[in-house]
Amino acid sequence: MAFFSMLGARDPGATPLPRLFARGGLALVIGAYTIYTLGPFLWLATMSVRTTGEISLDHYAWPSPFHWEQFRIAWVDSNFATYFWNSTLVVVGAVAVVTLVGAAAAHALARYRFKGNRLIYAVLFSSIIFPPQITLISLYQILVDYNLYNSLLGLTLVYISLQLPLTVYLLEGFFARIPQDLFDAAKMDGYGDIEIFRRIVLPIGMPAIATTLILNFIQLWNEFLFAVVLITDPDKRTLPIGIRAFMGDHFQDIGMIAAGVMISVVPVILAYIFFSEKLIRGMTAGAVK
Amino acid sequence: MASVEVRDVKKRFGAAAIIDGVSIDITDGEFVVLVGPSGCGKSTLLRMIAGLESISGGEIRIAERVVNDVPPKQRDIAMVFQNYALYPHMTVRANMGFSLDLQRAPKAKIEERVDRAAQILGLSHLLDRFPRQLSGGQRQRVAMGRAIVRDPQLFLFDEPLSNLDAKLRVTMRAEIKELHQKLGTTMIYVTHDQIEAMTMADKIVVMREGVVEQIGAPLDLYDTPANQFVAGFIGSPAMNFLEGTITPAGFALGQGIVLPLQTRAAKTGPAVYGVRPEHLRLDPKGVPVEVVVVEPTGAETHVVARIAGQDINCVLRERLAIAPGDRLTVAPDAGIEHLFDAVTGARLN
Repeated sequence: MAFFSMLGARDPGATPLPRLFARGGLALVIGAYTIYTLGPFLWLATMSVRTTGEISLDHYAWPSPFHWEQFRIAWVDSNFATYFWNSTLVVVGAVAVVTLVGAAAAHALARYRFKGNRLIYAVLFSSIIFPPQITLISLYQILVDYNLYNSLLGLTLVYISLQLPLTVYLLEGFFARIPQDLFDAAKMDGYGDIEIFRRIVLPIGMPAIATTLILNFIQLWNEFLFAVVLITDPDKRTLPIGIRAFMGDHFQDIGMIAAGVMISVVPVILAYIFFSEKLIRGMTAGAVK
Repeated sequence: MASVEVRDVKKRFGAAAIIDGVSIDITDGEFVVLVGPSGCGKSTLLRMIAGLESISGGEIRIAERVVNDVPPKQRDIAMVFQNYALYPHMTVRANMGFSLDLQRAPKAKIEERVDRAAQILGLSHLLDRFPRQLSGGQRQRVAMGRAIVRDPQLFLFDEPLSNLDAKLRVTMRAEIKELHQKLGTTMIYVTHDQIEAMTMADKIVVMREGVVEQIGAPLDLYDTPANQFVAGFIGSPAMNFLEGTITPAGFALGQGIVLPLQTRAAKTGPAVYGVRPEHLRLDPKGVPVEVVVVEPTGAETHVVARIAGQDINCVLRERLAIAPGDRLTVAPDAGIEHLFDAVTGARLN
């Protein structure tokens, strides 16, 4: 708001000329920021329909001709269909569990007074502070011990454990702001605890839930480190590891890498489009009365 | 409709007693207001009647059934909350009908009840809106509509008008009173606003620090408060209290000023003399006071005056051309003085 008023864009008393300059300045800043963020993506998009040879000749040239077959090669010949399915299975499964369990845990921590409530919260919070990489070796050993190493179920469980604390932390903050009167009214209306969670907390908390859902989805869809350590079987690779297959020691197939990245980025964009309105509402919740 | 009996009810949080042995009898169809300053335990007591707080001791009966361990939904009561507590993701219609929906009532019955409640409260044109599209007064009406739809045997109101502006509060006050007259259902209403209590109640329960100070009809509390606390709490502007001594000649204030007493006190000695501002009038034979502040309201003139080093408020019907420093002579109306024990605050006359 201060930024807008600085530019005079919302000042009704400003004369037309300064207001024109203000709007022009604002458009310039927004345009520059859009180019800064969208530029690399568009460049990647053009590279995905060019061969590596063409890219080597001129990095920034417009595709001519468009090599759409690169997507077919990636999808069919380079097993991207399998990687895509594996990623979908692992990420959708993990995000579903994290969202459901995280929301239930956050509701319990925000609403019920029980011994150890704050201790559990502190433990969860401490697990957010430390970098997740420090758990890599112990998680590896646990998965080996329980025959879950090199399995999609094992990777799903690891993803759940990685994202659950932050999800609980974010949702607890949002749920705690739901007025107690609403829960009391629900009890008077005849709701049980489960009903209150399902019919009051989940719908009212939807903006925050959508926020964690999309953040978790993006985070896990792009996750590389744990996947590359915990999965060895080529048929069980997820998309980020699949893209790495185009990188050799002496040669990197840039065109195919770009095509692979474009394939992998589509679900993220779709998820964002679907949830963006709720995501923005969740992120700005409480900011405006 | 239902009677409510609260018998020696206690509520403790650890060692602290929030409610300490409260007993109240509420008859069928009565409008009872629990009133008291913040932290007196009135909302806690209401929540205990609702079943939202556990009971540490004593007994609560609704319609002659002990409900100490009965969950809220089985008490057949409805509650209106301070913050409306409307479900923000549901329309007005869904909010009002949801408790019946949960009971799997037939759709026709739900619609009929919602329409009837909406008609009573003038909400018919708002049924398809969401709570965020309503004003504060409309939201409060929806909250009442939600309670009406359930057709409960007891209504509970927890400071329902606190979030509304002064003008709307007056309107809603009248609406709630009218609602009680229409439905005839027992209502228990919590407020810290004594004007609300006085204007709406059949019976007022004045509470302080977890105990009941006095129970009675509004005018009984106004005319014969049981102690200095109730006397100071009921009435606006608040009652004047003057410290002095009860003597055979009257109430001695010091500086040679003696107020005549027309009622008999239980004892003589140090005491507090109470007189309501509206019970003071200009009288050439009265006691001299010095004007400190003048507040003309149009209908009346509020005067803060000093007598024997103590300030008193006077509400005078006359329009007076007076200024701070002027002297007046005022006298209390005959036979309506209140005398309280200087130590315990108990009524002496």
